[in-house]
Amino acid sequence: MKPTRKRSVRPTLRSVLGRGHLSVALLAVGLAGISLTLLGVLALRVYANQNLQLIARSINYTVEAAVVFDDSAAANESLALIASTEEVAEAKVFNDEGELLAHWQRGDTDMLAQLEVQVATALLDEPVNLPILHQQQQVGHIELVGQGRSLLLFLLSGLAGILFCTILSALAAQYLSRRLLSDITRPLRGLASVAHAARRERSFDRRVPEAPIAELNELGNDFNALLDELEVWHSHLQSENQSLAHQASHDSLTGLPNRAFFEGRLSRSVRNAARQQDHLALLFLDSDRFKQINDTLGHAVGDEVLISVADRVRAQLREHDLVARLGGDEFAVLLTPLQSRKDAEHIAEKIVASMKLPVQLDSGRSIATSLSVGIAYYPDDGADPASLLNAADAAMYQAKRKRRGHWQVAQTERSANEIKNRS
Amino acid sequence: MHVAARRVTSCALSLLLAALFLYTGPAQADSATTAARAQQRAQAVTQVVLGIFSYARWPIEPSPLRLCLVGPTEYADDLIKGHVQESGRPLQVRRLLAEDTQVAQACDAIYIGKLDQGQRDQLFQRVRGHPVLSISEADDPCTVGSLFCLRVSDQQVAFDVNLDSVARSGVRIHPSVLQLSRRRAVQP
Repeated sequence: MKPTRKRSVRPTLRSVLGRGHLSVALLAVGLAGISLTLLGVLALRVYANQNLQLIARSINYTVEAAVVFDDSAAANESLALIASTEEVAEAKVFNDEGELLAHWQRGDTDMLAQLEVQVATALLDEPVNLPILHQQQQVGHIELVGQGRSLLLFLLSGLAGILFCTILSALAAQYLSRRLLSDITRPLRGLASVAHAARRERSFDRRVPEAPIAELNELGNDFNALLDELEVWHSHLQSENQSLAHQASHDSLTGLPNRAFFEGRLSRSVRNAARQQDHLALLFLDSDRFKQINDTLGHAVGDEVLISVADRVRAQLREHDLVARLGGDEFAVLLTPLQSRKDAEHIAEKIVASMKLPVQLDSGRSIATSLSVGIAYYPDDGADPASLLNAADAAMYQAKRKRRGHWQVAQTERSANEIKNRS
Repeated sequence: MHVAARRVTSCALSLLLAALFLYTGPAQADSATTAARAQQRAQAVTQVVLGIFSYARWPIEPSPLRLCLVGPTEYADDLIKGHVQESGRPLQVRRLLAEDTQVAQACDAIYIGKLDQGQRDQLFQRVRGHPVLSISEADDPCTVGSLFCLRVSDQQVAFDVNLDSVARSGVRIHPSVLQLSRRRAVQP
């Protein structure tokens, strides 16, 4: 699972969306704010320069008479009157000889004022130098240094506006990306949980719900269609598996378990019996005239007889007993649990008796058949499956030799001893 | 308001001393610095007088502007040299006797020196009803008669304006000049 291991370094959809929204918002606000502020500063600079010129001209008119009469006091008064109410940092009036006639300077020297001076020197055409004309003759000139307060305020408010808009748009971007994320992730999460359920629990019955976004909805529909196919395929595979497993462990003709299945079950039962000190019985069955029927009447009849025999044997057994076809006309029966030998013998008797009735063939004929049964007991006739089978097989042959169509209990040493002990 | 202390012209000697030298004649001018100071005052007076002229408008603009000096004057020496006004209008200066009857016709402006009260009344009687700009050099309370009255000191040549006389004379004076004079009147 490479993707899960790498997930820690991969960005989440949320962070990608958030970053995208944020960068777009910041870029937009930054560009708009900076360009607007720049344009504003440029426009304001023009107006500030014009304003400074206007102030200079009005000072010019006011101090004209004072300059003509070389009246320093009057010039100072007029200068202070105008300059103090306008955006002027410093104003000087010179007479015709270049002597300083009047001087005015703004008093404040705090940090804001110094900043204003820097802004003014950076942005304004300073100092403004305007000649004082009287009757078309120059009688002096004035020098004016602007204050730059409105420029500074505009710059500061512009920066504050950019900052505010940036914060606002960052929040908006965050909100929008969260909304978009929920629109995208809800369907994706549904898809993921359905996929997870299908992968882990093999539950193909769940389906992805409809999504508001077209592409995701399409994806969900495709995924649902895929799940439909998977479900069909999976159930088909399961039934196939089951039938294969059945085929592997069962005889196709009679439907009885085959030798492999029987041996597995036998060894399990022997182990259980050994653990719980239980008894069990193994019956070995063999059709007495099967080869003859096969040879004379054909395989089809032989098959019919085998099926019939299997049905009859099965009918004689108890709930937990097992009958298997070991091959050809050989059958084996496992009786477990077994209370007493009598039970086994009784069942063997019933099996033998069930063969008394002739087998009715499809063609309408009937054939008489019989079974020879050998019985082996655990633990008396063998402690392991192989020896039990051998004992039962031997007993069956013994029965065949003595009396066909009857049952015979195994005559092993141990059982013989036991019989001896009993008698 | 010690504005006077900041005024351009400066002189250590008293006005009385300077006046004494001027009255006693040029032969007594043994000190060059005193002469220089007198010269300075005369120049300041010239500047103020020319300034007043530049802010004055006659019903018919005279060209050249005829200025008559009446009576003994202290600071008119510089004026007599014949200036050209800043507007380019030539200035014609001449001395007239106080008794001259043609003063109203011959002059557009009169610069009045030291006259006694009788001569003064007579002079104003003659120019009444004519557009004549009158400037008194000294010792005029500026209540009757003269339009402008100079206040000459070492620091500054100041002036008063008699608004009644200005209104009656028919010569229009620019308001900024009137403002300057009013402000000066308030000064200590």
